[in-house]
Amino acid sequence: MIFTVLSLLACSAPPQGPTAAPAEAAPPAPVVLTLGAYTTPREAYGKAILPAFSAEWKKTTGQDVTFKESYQGSGAQARAVVEGFEADVVALSLDPDVATIEKAGLITHPWRDGAHGGMVSSSIVVFAVRPGNPRGIKDWADLAKPGIEVLTPNVRTSGGAMWNVAAAYGAATRGHVGLPGQDAPAAEGFLGSLLARVKVMDKSGRDSMVTFEKGVGDVAITYENEVVVARQDGQQMDYVVPSSTIRIENPAAVVDVYAKKHGTGKVAAAFVDYLQSAAAQAAFAKYGLRPVEGSAPAELPPVSDLFTVRDLGGWSVVQSTLFEKGAMYDRASAGQR
Amino acid sequence: MLLRLGFGTYVSALVAAPVLAILYEAFAGGLPACIAAITDPVAKDALLLSLGLSAVAAVINGVMGTAIAWGLVRWALPGRKLLSALVDLPLAIPTLVAGILLVALYGPQTGLGRVLGGWHMDIAFATPGIVLALLFVTLPFVVRVVEPVLAELDPAEEEAATTMGASRWLTFRSVLLPPIVPAIAAGTVQVFARSVAEFGSIAAVSGNIPHHTLTAPVYILGEVEGGSPGSAAAVSAVLLVLTLILQPVSRGLVQAAGSRRV
Repeated sequence: MIFTVLSLLACSAPPQGPTAAPAEAAPPAPVVLTLGAYTTPREAYGKAILPAFSAEWKKTTGQDVTFKESYQGSGAQARAVVEGFEADVVALSLDPDVATIEKAGLITHPWRDGAHGGMVSSSIVVFAVRPGNPRGIKDWADLAKPGIEVLTPNVRTSGGAMWNVAAAYGAATRGHVGLPGQDAPAAEGFLGSLLARVKVMDKSGRDSMVTFEKGVGDVAITYENEVVVARQDGQQMDYVVPSSTIRIENPAAVVDVYAKKHGTGKVAAAFVDYLQSAAAQAAFAKYGLRPVEGSAPAELPPVSDLFTVRDLGGWSVVQSTLFEKGAMYDRASAGQR
Repeated sequence: MLLRLGFGTYVSALVAAPVLAILYEAFAGGLPACIAAITDPVAKDALLLSLGLSAVAAVINGVMGTAIAWGLVRWALPGRKLLSALVDLPLAIPTLVAGILLVALYGPQTGLGRVLGGWHMDIAFATPGIVLALLFVTLPFVVRVVEPVLAELDPAEEEAATTMGASRWLTFRSVLLPPIVPAIAAGTVQVFARSVAEFGSIAAVSGNIPHHTLTAPVYILGEVEGGSPGSAAAVSAVLLVLTLILQPVSRGLVQAAGSRRV
C-alpha cells in the first residue's frame, strides 16, 4: 500500500526536476518577519496591526506571515540592530535612531522619501499625573517647582526621553515655561531645574510608566499614547497637555540588508506601506496614537502651541545643541542638585 | 604536562582573553580618549558614588558581619541553624531580585515606604536604598571569613580575661579582636570589591540619575546601549584594575587570617 502511494507521488513529480514546485497547487512558503520596535506602541502592533496585516497578506497573496516581535528603548533597539539583531523592519521612536541603522549600512534605500517622510504615527509629549491631579500640575513651570517628583527616561537609551527633553527645551525657547523665550541660557536653566526634580531615570518610556504605576513620582513626562494605553489597561491616572508641546513623529523602515538575507524584502516593504494605510492608522488611533497626517481624533485634547522638531531646526541641530556629549542636556543635568 | 597546558589554555581563554580584550578596547582610542571617558563628569561621579557607597557598605558589613559571626559561634541559640541559612540566602538570590525585594518593601506605595516618605526619608530610588542593596548582597562575606577563625579560638581565653576582671570591651579588644583582624579585613575588602561591581540590585532599587544615584556599573550599561562602547570599556577598565589590586590584597589577608589559626 505504502509502496503504491510512493510510486504515485513519483509519477506526479514534474519533469523539470525535484526542486521546481507546482505553480498553483502549493501556497507560497510561510514567512517570518522580525519587527524591532520601541516600547510604547507595543499594544497597537501586537494586538491590532500585526494580526490585521497577516490576515490581509494571506488574503492577497495566499502566504502565511508570522511576526517575531522585540520591544525595547528606541536607541537601544537601534544599537541592537546595528550589532546584529536581524530585524527585517524597524519601527522606532525617532528619525535619528533609524539614521543610526542607515549609517551602519544596513538600510540602503532612501527611507525618508516614502510618504510622510517615512513616518507612520505621531503623538505628543504630555504629563501623566495622579488621579484628580492632586499636585495641581498645569504646565511646564510646575514641573520645576521644589518638592515635585518627576519621571522621565534616560536620553542615552530612550527615544521618549529625547522627545521629552526636546519638548521642554522647545517650550522654553518659545516662551511657555514662565521665562522669556528665545533665550538659550534661560532654557538651559529651566532644563536644569526640571532635571533636578527627576526621581528615577528608566531605560525606556514603557519602563518609566511602569515605575509611575508603582506609585513613584507625582508626574511622568511621556507619550500621550502611553497614558491612553495605561488607562485602557485599568491604571488610574490622568494626563495634562502643557500649553506648548512637541509633535512626536515615529518612523518605520525596512532594514534592507537583513530583509534581503532572509528573503523577506517584498513582505517587509508591504508591511511598512501598510502602516500608513487607513486601517493601520485607525488601529494606531485605537491605542492613543495620533494620525501621521491630518487632525487628531476628537477624543484627544487640542494643543495651543504645537511645534515640531523642524521648528527647532531639525534633528541635526537638536542633536548638537541638546544631546551631544557636553551639550545642553549634560550641562543642565550637571548644574543642579 | 599536556594536562597542565590544557588547564592553562582553558583558564586563559575563559578569563585572561576577555580581560585583555576590554583593556584593548579601553585604550583603542588612545590614552587621552580613555582619560577623557573616565573624567567625563557623569562617569567620574558614577565612579565616585560607587566607591563611596561601597566603602560605607564595607564598613557596616565589616562590623555587623563580625558581630553575626561571633553570635553564630558563641551562642547556642535555638535558631542558630536558621540564622546561618539566612546569612547565606543573599548568595542564592539573583541580585536583581534582591533589588526588587527592597523596592517591594520600601517603595513609595508600600506601607513602610509611605511612613518613611512622610518623614522625608527616601530609601527606594535614593542612596540609602543602594546601600541597603549592597549590604544585602554582601552580607555573607565577612561572616563566612570571620566565623571559622573565631571557632578556632579557645573560649577559655575570653573567660580567663573576664574572670581576671577585664571589662567586656577590654576582653573584646585585647583577647578576641587581634586574632580575627586579618579575617575581618579580608571580608571587608571582599565586600568593597563586590559592591563596586554590583549591578542587578542597584539597577532595580536606584533612580539611576546621573550625578546623584547612577553608579559605575549602571553607567557602563547605559554607555553600551547608548552606542559608546569605548567609554564603557574605559570605565570598565577602571573597575577591572581596582579588582586586580584588591583581589591579591584580600587573598593575602585570608592567608594571614588562616595562619593565625594554630
